[in-house]
Amino acid sequence: MKQKVWALVAVLGLGIAAGAQAADTIKIGLMAPMTGSWASEGQGMKKIVELLAEQQNAKGGVLGKQIEIVTEDDGGDPRTASLAAQRLTTKGVAAVVGTYGSAVTEASQNIYDEAGIPQVANGSTAIRLTEKGFKKFFRTAPRDDEQGRMAAQTIAKLGFKKIAILHDSSAYAKGLADEANALLKKSGANVVFFDALTPKENDYTAILTKLKGANPDVVLFTGYYPEAGLLLKQKKGMNWAVPFIGGDATNNVDLVKLAGKEAAAGYYFLSPPQPQDLDTADAKAFLADYQKKHNELPPSIWAVLAGDGFRAVAAGIAGAKSTDGEKVAAYLHKDLKNFSGLSGAISFDAKGDREGEVYRLYKVDGEGKFVLQK
Amino acid sequence: MEEFFQQLTNGLAVGGIYALIALGYTMVYGVLKLINFAHGDLFTYGAYLGLTLLTSLALTDRLGFAAGVLVLALMVMGLVAVLGAILERAAYRPLRQSPRLSAVVSALGASIFLQNTLMLIYGARFQVYPDNILPAATLNVFGLYLPLMRVLIVLASVLMMVALYLFIQKTKIGTAIRAAAIDQDAARLMGIDVNRVIMLVFLVGPALGGIAGLMVGLYYGQINFTMGWVYGMKAFTAAILGGIGNIPGAMVGGLLLGVVEALGAAYISIAWKDAIAFCVLILILIVRPTGLLGERVADKV
Repeated sequence: MKQKVWALVAVLGLGIAAGAQAADTIKIGLMAPMTGSWASEGQGMKKIVELLAEQQNAKGGVLGKQIEIVTEDDGGDPRTASLAAQRLTTKGVAAVVGTYGSAVTEASQNIYDEAGIPQVANGSTAIRLTEKGFKKFFRTAPRDDEQGRMAAQTIAKLGFKKIAILHDSSAYAKGLADEANALLKKSGANVVFFDALTPKENDYTAILTKLKGANPDVVLFTGYYPEAGLLLKQKKGMNWAVPFIGGDATNNVDLVKLAGKEAAAGYYFLSPPQPQDLDTADAKAFLADYQKKHNELPPSIWAVLAGDGFRAVAAGIAGAKSTDGEKVAAYLHKDLKNFSGLSGAISFDAKGDREGEVYRLYKVDGEGKFVLQK
Repeated sequence: MEEFFQQLTNGLAVGGIYALIALGYTMVYGVLKLINFAHGDLFTYGAYLGLTLLTSLALTDRLGFAAGVLVLALMVMGLVAVLGAILERAAYRPLRQSPRLSAVVSALGASIFLQNTLMLIYGARFQVYPDNILPAATLNVFGLYLPLMRVLIVLASVLMMVALYLFIQKTKIGTAIRAAAIDQDAARLMGIDVNRVIMLVFLVGPALGGIAGLMVGLYYGQINFTMGWVYGMKAFTAAILGGIGNIPGAMVGGLLLGVVEALGAAYISIAWKDAIAFCVLILILIVRPTGLLGERVADKV
């Protein structure tokens, strides 16, 4: 019965999509966390995608039609996301960009797949998302295993011996922590601590006190920037000088604001390049436009990757000369090679993962700036 | 052993905040038998109003640290108290005669409304208190790390709880509140204006929640429009732990919850910290269904 209902939804979705073809605009969906604790990411995604669509429309749109962005709020929550996805499938979108959290994206994958709508996630790095065999799922974000590899390599390169690993039990943070833990243990490193904190709290001194008891050379924290900021601040309050290395979810300009410059100094993190470190002419021009319009830089690289998702989708529709989901997906898989994205060249492999090395090592300097490490 | 005492102080600091917020839940419950789910959001408003007043009036620059923070605290308490009274007037009083469930739904609605209003005004990003305001002194007592601010926060919470306790127990208005808590109709027959008592409860409770928000903002520095939810849930738990409706119970419950969390994280598992705290809650409720201090019904507020 459920199958039938989905089939019906899919048919309806396709029907409306077909209807949209006849209309004047091509609709592209954006599923983003506009509310909830990741709302700043979602609002950045929306600003970027809408500005890119505006610029594309000024150049004549795609296939001679104007692009219309249809935004749905996923609230950063899997349940809300499945509703948002169902709403987007009924609005006749040709493709969907988004979303940020891995678990949130996961809740929407089936829905888009069965509706025949290509989806390009921008912030979801969990490995399993592209291991399920969805033919129309892509992501502009790198995978956690690549990041886990980078984390283990970096820790070895910096010469740390006793390692503590802390995550926050989210699908993303735990996946990354497990990956790094396995690789570090395989290479013979001594992992002295492995546990999770509860996100969204304000006081992590109990955890830091316990961590300090394990006496590590370095702490790998794989969670998000609000907790990282508090950990750094409270670590400094305890006069504990151990270095912290974070994952890419701590790459957010607010990190330094939250921790304070002094506490943030010396913090390492792995991440795809930051918005301001993007060096292609395209990216520089776009960021200048963005800054002019919104008077700030995008909140993080993830919002920029949503922009890349949009550009890839637009190129896919233009290249396939169709808004048919199958054709667009086939084009993205096979024909889109080294497409010039804001975050560098974009190609997708057979699974829909982005090809190529994306991660860099950053260190926070005394001024609170994120400095790219060579 | 040193780590044990360190964790104990960690727990007390968190517990003091829980206790202050729990007082708001427990006072409202005592009089109205209503769980005010919007209370956590009033706490968040305290944090945001504190930030706005602090940065726009530059109080600590003009008056010095101690006087500045005191004036700031009074202003925040006053404003959040007014907000609490408006909330009561708009969301709860019209439903006074309705079934209790309607009021709970109204409370949840008020919570969503308050939270999202805050997001629309301040934006979704984290806001940060200026970090040069507080003295960063750290006391070193027998090898324990005790930031001065932490000690002050615990002292301030305890002071306010004691003041509230005396206010409820020793003053005429406090007696009226207690009377209304026991039996509203009888209190009305004795010439007590129950509506005013309820209004008063909605001034005092939110004021305490607001000051807790200000303390969290000042000490931890980072505030977010959703922060009231986690604190609200924990404080609500603390209120139940101590015996909801009972003021000393809320204080004991708050401090106990903070300590159980810290020790659970230290000796069992960090990831299971909340599970441990809630197991303790369940065990206590099995043994004492009315909470730790819940039996003294006549004392409840």
